[in-house]
Amino acid sequence: MLTFENTKCECGHQNPVGTVLCESCGNPLDVEEAASEAPLEMRYDGIARRSQKANPSPIDRVWNFFSSVKVAVRLIVITLIASIVGTIFTQENAFISFDPSTYYEERYGWIGKWYYKLGLSNTYESWWFIGLLVMIGTSLVICSLDRVLPLYRALNKQQIRKHLTFLTRQKTVYASSVEGAPEAWTASMAEQLKRRHYRVHQDGDALLAEKYRFSRWGPYINHIGLIVFLLAVLLRSLPGWAMDTYITVPEGETVQIPETNLYVKNEKFTIDYYKDDELPESLKGTARAKLYETKAVLYECEADCDDPSKQPQLKEVKRHSIIVNDPLSYQGIKAYQFGYDDTPKLKSVNPVLIDHKTGKTYGPFKLEMRNPELTYALGPYTLELRQTYMDFALDSEGKPTTKSKEPNAPAFVFVLKGPDLAEGGEPYMYFPKQNDKARFSQDVINGELAKRFEIKVPSMEGVEFAGVVTSLNIRSDRAMPYIWVGAGISMFGLLLGSYWHHRRIWLRIDGGRVTIGAHTNKNNYGMRAEVASALRGLGIVVEPKSLDNGRNKS
Amino acid sequence: MSLLDFSSDAFIAAFFLYCFGFMFYGVSALGRKWSNRSPEEHTRRWGRIAYAVSILGFAAHVTFFITRWIGGGHIPTSNMYEFMTFLAMAIMFAFVVVNAIYRKPLLGLFTLPLTVIIVAFAAVFPQEVQPLIPALQSIWLKIHVTTAATGEAFFAVGFAAGLMYLLRTVDFKKTDERARREQRWVEFTLYVIVVIIAFIGSVFAFRGAGYEASFKQENVEISDTGVDNTTTETVEYSLPPIFKPYNSQVVSMDAFLGFKEPLMETPHWMKGVNAARKLNTITWSVINGTILYGLLRLVLRKRIGAAIHPLMDGIDEDDIDEISYRAIAIGYPIFMLGALIFAMIWAYIAWSRFWGWDPKEVWALITWLYYTAYLHLRLSRGWHGAKSAWLAVIGFVVVMFTLIGVNLVLVGLHSYAGV
Repeated sequence: MLTFENTKCECGHQNPVGTVLCESCGNPLDVEEAASEAPLEMRYDGIARRSQKANPSPIDRVWNFFSSVKVAVRLIVITLIASIVGTIFTQENAFISFDPSTYYEERYGWIGKWYYKLGLSNTYESWWFIGLLVMIGTSLVICSLDRVLPLYRALNKQQIRKHLTFLTRQKTVYASSVEGAPEAWTASMAEQLKRRHYRVHQDGDALLAEKYRFSRWGPYINHIGLIVFLLAVLLRSLPGWAMDTYITVPEGETVQIPETNLYVKNEKFTIDYYKDDELPESLKGTARAKLYETKAVLYECEADCDDPSKQPQLKEVKRHSIIVNDPLSYQGIKAYQFGYDDTPKLKSVNPVLIDHKTGKTYGPFKLEMRNPELTYALGPYTLELRQTYMDFALDSEGKPTTKSKEPNAPAFVFVLKGPDLAEGGEPYMYFPKQNDKARFSQDVINGELAKRFEIKVPSMEGVEFAGVVTSLNIRSDRAMPYIWVGAGISMFGLLLGSYWHHRRIWLRIDGGRVTIGAHTNKNNYGMRAEVASALRGLGIVVEPKSLDNGRNKS
Repeated sequence: MSLLDFSSDAFIAAFFLYCFGFMFYGVSALGRKWSNRSPEEHTRRWGRIAYAVSILGFAAHVTFFITRWIGGGHIPTSNMYEFMTFLAMAIMFAFVVVNAIYRKPLLGLFTLPLTVIIVAFAAVFPQEVQPLIPALQSIWLKIHVTTAATGEAFFAVGFAAGLMYLLRTVDFKKTDERARREQRWVEFTLYVIVVIIAFIGSVFAFRGAGYEASFKQENVEISDTGVDNTTTETVEYSLPPIFKPYNSQVVSMDAFLGFKEPLMETPHWMKGVNAARKLNTITWSVINGTILYGLLRLVLRKRIGAAIHPLMDGIDEDDIDEISYRAIAIGYPIFMLGALIFAMIWAYIAWSRFWGWDPKEVWALITWLYYTAYLHLRLSRGWHGAKSAWLAVIGFVVVMFTLIGVNLVLVGLHSYAGV
C-alpha cells in the first residue's frame, strides 16, 4: 500500500506520516479531521505515533497490535472475565490437603468436573492467565512508548501562534471584537492568566498560556509503576526469591527453620478469649478469640550447625511477641502467627521393663518423643531404638508409616537384648499411649515376646506433656521492595494524572477580533469556568456554558 | 443514656433527614411546573433547602460514626452493618465533593435515595458492637476500609449520575428498535431497585411483626473414610417459608395468610451457607418487588422511567455525562489506593502474603480492571454519553457484588465481614 501522502502543512512544516494536526501550527492535516466541523481530536496533540508507519514490517505489526488502546481494553476485559470465572468455585490453593481430581466433581457435580478438567480450579496459576498478564505488561510498555516520546517532543517545542482553525475547533472557544491595541489587550489577558498560575508565552498579539503540564506524564508514570510491579511479581517465581514454610513449635522448645541457620524458640503461647461481659448479647457464651500470641526468640546458629552429634551453638538475635498483625522480622525473614494446636501431646514418658517370668522390673528410663536416646541399659538387658513413628498408621499395603511429625500416636521399635534372648536381640514394638496400644494391638505385633516382657508406664507421674504448639508461617520475599516501589510509582503517577489537568489557552487577535481556544485533557467544565473567570477579569462577562463548542459530542 | 444508644439515635435521625432531603429534592424537581415562582427560582430555592437538610443528615451520620467509634472502642467498619453505614456516609461525602464542583441540585435527587437505600439495607444486619477478632486488630482496619469505601462511594455517585443521564436521554415516546431496547433496560434497572427496596421492606415488616419459623435440618456428609455422618442444625427464618431447608422438619412456624406449612423444599444442590434462607429471602424480595412495581405502574399509569423522564427536562445531559465521568475519575485513585495497595500492605502484615487470590481480593481487582477499562474507553470516540452511562451503572453492580455478593455468595477469608 504505497500511497503518497502529502504531510507538509501550509505553514511549511514537514510532518511525519500519520500526523493529525500539524506539529507546528496545529492546522488539521488528516483529511477527515480537516473536513469536519467538530472539535479537534486532540489526543496526544495530534502527533504521529511510531505505530502509524507507512510500510509496517512484521515487527512493526506486532508493535502496532500492542500499541492499540483498543487491544489493551480487550486484554483488560478478557482478564476481568477470566478472574470472574476463577472465583466461581474455590481455587485449589485455598486447600491445604485434598484431592482436586475428585473434590470438584463430588461437591459440584458435572460442572465441577469440567471446571477441574479445564484447569479453572487453578485459573490464576495457569499458563494462559499468566500469558494474559504478560500481554497486558507488553501492551503497557508499547502503548506508553508509542505515545510518550512524540508527545514529549510536541509539548516541548510548542508554537505560540497556532492556526486559526486550531483555535476555533477547540472545545472551549471564545471570539469577539476588541478595542484598542491588540498587544496591550493580549498583555492584560496574560496578566489575568498569570494570576491563575499559568505560564504565559506572548508573541505580539498571540499568546500561549499553559499550566500543570506535568500531569500529562501521570499516566506514563503510572504505567511504569505497573510494569515494575508486574516484573516484580514474575521475579517472585524465580528459585530462591521467595520462601514459604510452616513450622510448629511446642511451648518451651526450639525448632530450626528449614534451610536456614535460624532457630525459633516458643517461650510461651497465649490464647485469650473475650469474656462474656465484653461480648454483645448474641455472642455471649461463644468463644470469640481476642489474642493469639507467641513469645518467640530467634537464634542464629554459630557453630556445630551441621554436626548431628553435637548440640548447635545458638546466639539470640531477636526477641518478639508475635501476634496476628505483628510478625517477627529479621533480615528479610518474617515469622507470622498462623495457628496453634492445644490438644495435649506427649513430651516424654518414663516406662519400665517388666519381666513377667521373674516378676522383676527394670528402669524406669526416660523416653523422649523428640530426639530420644538410642540405647537404654536396664539391668542385664539393653534396649536399642531402631525406628520411631510419631504419628503411627498403616499405609495401603499394610506397612507401618507415620502421618506427620507430631507425636499424635507415637510408636517405638526397640531391639531387646540380654539373657535368654536371640543372638541379635528380638524386636519389640512399644506404643506409649494406652489407646494406641489397644488400637494397633501391640501384644499381637510382639507375639511370643509380649508374654515374657512388657514395657509400660507404671504411673502417670512419669508422663510429661508438651506445651501448646504454635504454628508459624515463615516467609521471605526478596521481591517485596520492588512490589512496593512499583505500586508506589503507579499510585504517584495516577494521582498526578487524576487530580491535576493539563490546561492550555491560545489567543490571537486578527484584525480587531480576538479568538481564544482552550484545551484540557480532562474536565472541560473547569476549563470553561477558568476562561470565563479570566475574561471577567478583563470586564467581559460570559456564561461559562456559552464558551462550549460542541462539547462531548465529538 | 449510653453513648452507643445516643449513637443509634443519631443514626435514625440521619436516616429520616436523608429521607426528607430526598423528598425536598423531589419537590425541587417536581414543583417547577406548579410553583407560582419562576422554575429557576423554585429549583434554586428548594434545591438549597434539600441540600441543607441532606447536610444535616450527613452531620447526624458523622455523629453516629464518631460516637459509635468512642462507645465501641474501635472504628465502626468491622462488620456488614458498620461497613454499609460507613459506605452510605462516604457516598454523602462524595456527593458533597462532586456537588461543590458542579452545583447540580438534581444530582441529589439520585444520590439521596441511594444513600437512603444503603442506610436501610445496613439496618437489616445485626447492629451490635462486636469486639475485634485478632485479624482485625490493626491500624489498617481504619486505613484500608475507609479509603476503599470512599473510592467506592465516588463510583456510586458516578452510578447515580449515569442513571440520571439515561433517564434524561432515553426517550420513552420513541418506538424504534434501539429506543425500545434502551427503554426496557432502563425500566429493568428501576425494577431491580424496586426489588431491593422490597427486600428491605419485607425484612422490616416481618421483623416488626415478630414473625418466626424454625426448622430442624439433617445434613448427611460422607467423610474421607466413607462413614456417613449426620448432623442436625436448627435453621431460623424471619420471613415466612416459601422454601424450607432441604431435608428438614418444621419445629415451629407462625401461620401466614393461612399457610401453616412451607410451600416448597429447597433443591438439594443448593449447598452454600444458609442457602435455603437466602433462596427464601430472594423469592420474597422478587414477589414483593414485583407487587410493589405493579402498584407503582398502576398509580403512574405508565412505566416508571417514562414518569421520571419529564422531570429531567432542561438538564444539560452533557453536564451529567461529565459529572458521572468525573466522579469515577476522582474515585478511581482512591479506590486503587484503598482497595488494592493498602489491602496488599495489610494482607502482607496479617496474612504473610500481599496477594492470595482470595475471592474478595479478586473481586477488588475485577472492580479495578472494570473501571480501568472504563477510563481507557473514555479516551476513545463514541464512548461518551449513553454507553458511558451504562458502563457507570453496570460498574456499580460490580462494586456492590464485591462488597456484598462476595460475602454472601462466595466464601473466603473476608467471611467475618458477613452477617
